[in-house]
Amino acid sequence: MSIASFLSPATRESVAPPAEGVPLLEVRDLSVTFYTPRGTVRAVRHASFTVRRGEVLGLVGESGCGKSTVAFATLAYLPGTAEVGGSILFEGRDLMTMPAGELRDLRGSRIAMVYQDPGSALNPTMRVGEQVEEVLHTHLGLSGQAAEERAASLFESVGLPNPARVGRRFPHELSGGQQQRVVIAMALACEPDLLLMDEPTTGLDVTTEATILDLVAELKDRVNAGIVFVSHNLGVIARVADRVAVMYAGQIIEEAPVRELFAGPSHPYTAGLLSCVPAPVNETGLMPQLRNIPGSVYPASEPNVDACLFADRCPMVQDICRESAPPEIAANAEGHPVRCFFPERVDSDTWGEPTPRPRKPRSTNEAPLLQVDGLHQYYGTDQKKYIFFGPPSRRPVRANVDVDFAIQPGRTLGIVGESGSGKSTAARSIAGLERRTAGEVLLDGEPLAAGVGDRPRGQQSKVRMVFQNPAASLNPRLPIGSVLVRSIRKSRGIGKAEARGIAVELLESVGLDGGYMDRRPRELSGGQQQRVALAAAFAADPELIIADEAVSALDVSVQAQVLILIAERQRREGTAFMFITHDLGVVRYISDDILVLYGGHVVETGPAEAVLRPPWSPYTEALLSAAPVPDPDAEPSRIRLEGAVPTLRQPFAGCPFAGRCPRNLGDLCNNTPPPMRVDSADPRHQILCHIPLEELAADQRAAMRGRSAVGETPRGR
Amino acid sequence: MARFLLLRLGLIVVTLLVISFAVFGVTEVLPGDVATQILGQGATPENVAVVRERLGLDDPWPMRYASWVGGVVRGDLGESLVQRLPITEMVGGRLVNSLILASFTFFVAMPVAVAVGIWAGVHRNSFGDRLASMFSLVAISLPEFVTGVVLIIVFSTTLGWLPSSSLVEPGTNPLTRPQILVLPALTLTGVMFAYVMRMTRANVIEVLETNYVRSAILKGLPMRQVIWRHVVPNAMLPTISVITLNIGWLLGGLIIVENVFSYPGIGRMLLTSIQTRDMPLLQALALLIAATYAVSNLFADLAYTWLNPRIRFA
Amino acid sequence: MATATLTPAESERGNAATRAVVGLARGARREFGYAWATPAGRIGLPLVLVHVVLAIAGTVLAPFPATEFHLLDRFSGPTMTYWLGTDEFGRDIFSRVLSGATSIILVSAAGTALGILLGTIVGLSSGYAGGKVDEVVMRVMDGLMSFPALLLALLVLTTLGSSHINIVFTIGIVFTPRVARVLRSATLSIKTMEFVQSARLRGEPAYYIIFREILPNTTPVLTVEASVRLSYAVLLASSLGFLGLGVQPPSSDWGLMISEGRAHIANAPLIVLAPSVAVASLVIGVNLLAEGLREARELPKGERTP
Repeated sequence: MSIASFLSPATRESVAPPAEGVPLLEVRDLSVTFYTPRGTVRAVRHASFTVRRGEVLGLVGESGCGKSTVAFATLAYLPGTAEVGGSILFEGRDLMTMPAGELRDLRGSRIAMVYQDPGSALNPTMRVGEQVEEVLHTHLGLSGQAAEERAASLFESVGLPNPARVGRRFPHELSGGQQQRVVIAMALACEPDLLLMDEPTTGLDVTTEATILDLVAELKDRVNAGIVFVSHNLGVIARVADRVAVMYAGQIIEEAPVRELFAGPSHPYTAGLLSCVPAPVNETGLMPQLRNIPGSVYPASEPNVDACLFADRCPMVQDICRESAPPEIAANAEGHPVRCFFPERVDSDTWGEPTPRPRKPRSTNEAPLLQVDGLHQYYGTDQKKYIFFGPPSRRPVRANVDVDFAIQPGRTLGIVGESGSGKSTAARSIAGLERRTAGEVLLDGEPLAAGVGDRPRGQQSKVRMVFQNPAASLNPRLPIGSVLVRSIRKSRGIGKAEARGIAVELLESVGLDGGYMDRRPRELSGGQQQRVALAAAFAADPELIIADEAVSALDVSVQAQVLILIAERQRREGTAFMFITHDLGVVRYISDDILVLYGGHVVETGPAEAVLRPPWSPYTEALLSAAPVPDPDAEPSRIRLEGAVPTLRQPFAGCPFAGRCPRNLGDLCNNTPPPMRVDSADPRHQILCHIPLEELAADQRAAMRGRSAVGETPRGR
Repeated sequence: MARFLLLRLGLIVVTLLVISFAVFGVTEVLPGDVATQILGQGATPENVAVVRERLGLDDPWPMRYASWVGGVVRGDLGESLVQRLPITEMVGGRLVNSLILASFTFFVAMPVAVAVGIWAGVHRNSFGDRLASMFSLVAISLPEFVTGVVLIIVFSTTLGWLPSSSLVEPGTNPLTRPQILVLPALTLTGVMFAYVMRMTRANVIEVLETNYVRSAILKGLPMRQVIWRHVVPNAMLPTISVITLNIGWLLGGLIIVENVFSYPGIGRMLLTSIQTRDMPLLQALALLIAATYAVSNLFADLAYTWLNPRIRFA
Repeated sequence: MATATLTPAESERGNAATRAVVGLARGARREFGYAWATPAGRIGLPLVLVHVVLAIAGTVLAPFPATEFHLLDRFSGPTMTYWLGTDEFGRDIFSRVLSGATSIILVSAAGTALGILLGTIVGLSSGYAGGKVDEVVMRVMDGLMSFPALLLALLVLTTLGSSHINIVFTIGIVFTPRVARVLRSATLSIKTMEFVQSARLRGEPAYYIIFREILPNTTPVLTVEASVRLSYAVLLASSLGFLGLGVQPPSSDWGLMISEGRAHIANAPLIVLAPSVAVASLVIGVNLLAEGLREARELPKGERTP
């Protein structure tokens, strides 16, 4: 059933066809300023763009650049404290001056939105079907049976399993990906003319993200709507956008067709963004180097000035850039607009030589720094249905099952997997924040007690941890110097004055001057906070730093700075890292060895260069093929995983990945635990799979050469 | 779900045991010998010993506790020291009177408070909202005895519309003279109303800021529908917990209000038992009030669970 | 130097405690500063201060001793001598209200302080310890909370007998579980934060983490809780007085004044009205202050940008 048939003829006709040549959406010189008790926030500064029917405009930029504000302004949904300048014309009519009733008729029917964090965008106490049906009722007058049936076919059109019955579910009964499909179905309910998608895949696992992006790509061809796709992720934008507008500090600094932008950026910021994203794997395996953009984003609290807002971070800055604002000019013959005085000077050398990441060769006879054998981590205990008797109703969560690995001194072990794979659990057990259920952990050959409090002082200072959320990593009530001084004194037993001196040096080593010692964490940007957290970790001169998604919350430009900082530290001090991340690009840059976890089990392990080349475990293969590539011409590979990591309350009968594996062999995989196979080319490379590795490698190589073969492997179920 | 119900029921049994133990313990450590109190200051040691023997006061405390709890379970609350009557008989009618007053307040004040709270939350910072907030702030700040006395001054001594005391003939029911209920109920309502209204308002404001309400608005739903289908159901969940907490307050307020208006309920009786040092009666009443509170908490909890799909379908 | 006689560990412990107190005071001052910026705080803070000043200077300002009989001037209306008139014994109502302020503010403040102190200690340590300890402690607190506050207070006071100290103790007992619950939930959310985990990894002892890392971050919750509790304390203390379990006569108590004045409502309403206005204005002041503190903390919420 096509979605077009949902619109009754009456509704269709009531919409006056726009005059010839009027774009679907035209944003002219839009400025949005929020006046808050804590100061003025200039979220958008004079932004202009247009969207035509049938095209996808990608709006890309780092956090705080105003891209989401633009999306919400397009639905005239801004808080009362906002002051809006310029105009937003939908089919030639200004949304900012439209009467409330008309605006309400547009919302949800002709202009619809898909949000970041679908879990919070759905009403938790209402069945998802009802939430779709009320849109149909409000705008199309459908109710009862008719509305239910249309909701079901909408659910089918967005690929929800069991569309006839999924409407009876509450949001918390669906996975994140399914929730987002419901939100998309809700947005498509009245076949909108303009679809706004605000970071629709942020926060979802890469595997889920890939399936949602497939859906968006498919929608693009199916519905004749204009789509504004907001994202911070260049890989995602490359996959779905036709045209891209790059935002920086509330301005659109460059706008171009997607291929043109990725092939030859004309603004130094765009060029910088493209060069500091660690690209996910290709056939070359490792990525040895990375560039970065110094400094941080021009703050929204700063006033509009008559200068280029990027001047302070620009490698090719001239005097004129600081004296007047660059006009919007045509960058090349095709006429794509850019806000720079010297677009013709931007090329691949703009950002200079990339920083190589030194790699410590693996010595065969060196004893491992950390040796983990048979790590088990279970949460919770058995519960019975009637408390003291009855069948078991709840078993413990088996977050880590029999995990083995080792880290060599001065090397980095990257740990990857989806959420729920047990990566963070492993980190927390080794750090001693959680007491492991079973297993032996040796540090420098000495056994490591389960709880951090039970470890001798010397061992305590050998292991440090850096966390994902920089804002929470530092005590908001204490000056940042105090945590450094405390850590130094704790591990070295020296006086306050001496420790303060060392603390200042540490701050300088992460690129902050000593003046930051007395600042409070809230006065720092996210990137600066994370550097202080790193400095605090370095303070004890640890031998092992566990980084749990330590760069995931950072903007790409800042992420590159922190990654380079970590690599630099490792080279100088020989610190080993256990680096947990869901971002395969980051893993590719930072790792010497890689451990892939699924459902709490190790499914693949080995030196990075071996793990990143076939043979892969089918799970690694799926992860790699799901990762968005910042290249519009990259052929999307076809391996897609549906659903999420299964419940970990039951032991797996066969292979942990069997339930989702595209290469599942049937009974064998489902019911027999697979062997850990050793790669003959490199015995340290091991894969948990029933399929012999030679066969896996051959299939996977064939799939990479002719992408089409991947979906139907000879051994397909 | 079975597991949850069992847990809750188990918990209430534990709570009741703790309460009975606490009540028993507190009244046991009271200074003064009960036998001497019964017999008066001039009692001879022999008489005291006889009374102690009869009351079982010489038994070790675990035995006395066991026999007391055993009696309570069988519906025998003991005998009043002062009136020499079975407490179960004395309490019955009084309990009904108190329940009449409390439910009148509860079922009138609650719905109105919730309705006003929703209105005020939706029309945040409007004149009506500010007025309601101001009124409710004053209302929660006034102790019941102040409200009660002021109401008496206005409606009774000045206007002469309503009686200042709510005494009824023994054996008759306050419902036979409904006018005596008005002032006590009004007094009790003041604080309850204000508190529930403020909480409802705060919850509505919180829910209005959630992303799913934003989705509802951006779906183009009429505001009425946004409020009734998206805001109110979600704002009511935490409000229920607040109402639960208020039952305890209502019971405390009952003690005061009954004393302000000389209303013949268990609150008045409780104070009398304290003044006359009638320990068995005090124990029985304290147990009764605490148990009422615990049981109403259980019901509120169940209501919360039933309304919350996250728990209901877990 | 005093610290010279202490071992380094002891001096560190003492240091941490002193710093925790200083930090808390600073935190409280900051919170009051924020509250002053809100309309509710603007009214509430001065109202409370007036009461505090009257409570302190009450005996000096009072024209008569609170218990002095003027049998010739019984039931006098307001005059130049007796500003608010006199009661059935000819005692000056104004002086009695002033002297009542001293006792109720002292008792409520001390009771609140005790409840906050105990509740904070219980809530912080139970929340930080977690597991079985937390389970047991919170069950006991729940047990205490399953008594309506006034009933528990009546039971405790009946047992202990009525005196200033015992009322303070009673208020403390009644408040402890309620404060503990609030502080525990604050602790539970703070203790999972990364800076606390970092402190654990540094090998910091529990007392350091509790007092230096967690406690300072609870000041917003703590100040709001303290001000809310204070208003309940005034209500509770005056209710106890009204029920005859408060301060014993002849010293004056607002609740008791109202209770006793009821008999004379018809001919001398001021006996009842004066203490009523006094208790109402005090509680309104404290509630407004609490409102201001809460509003001040909600400011960042309003400035979210989409």
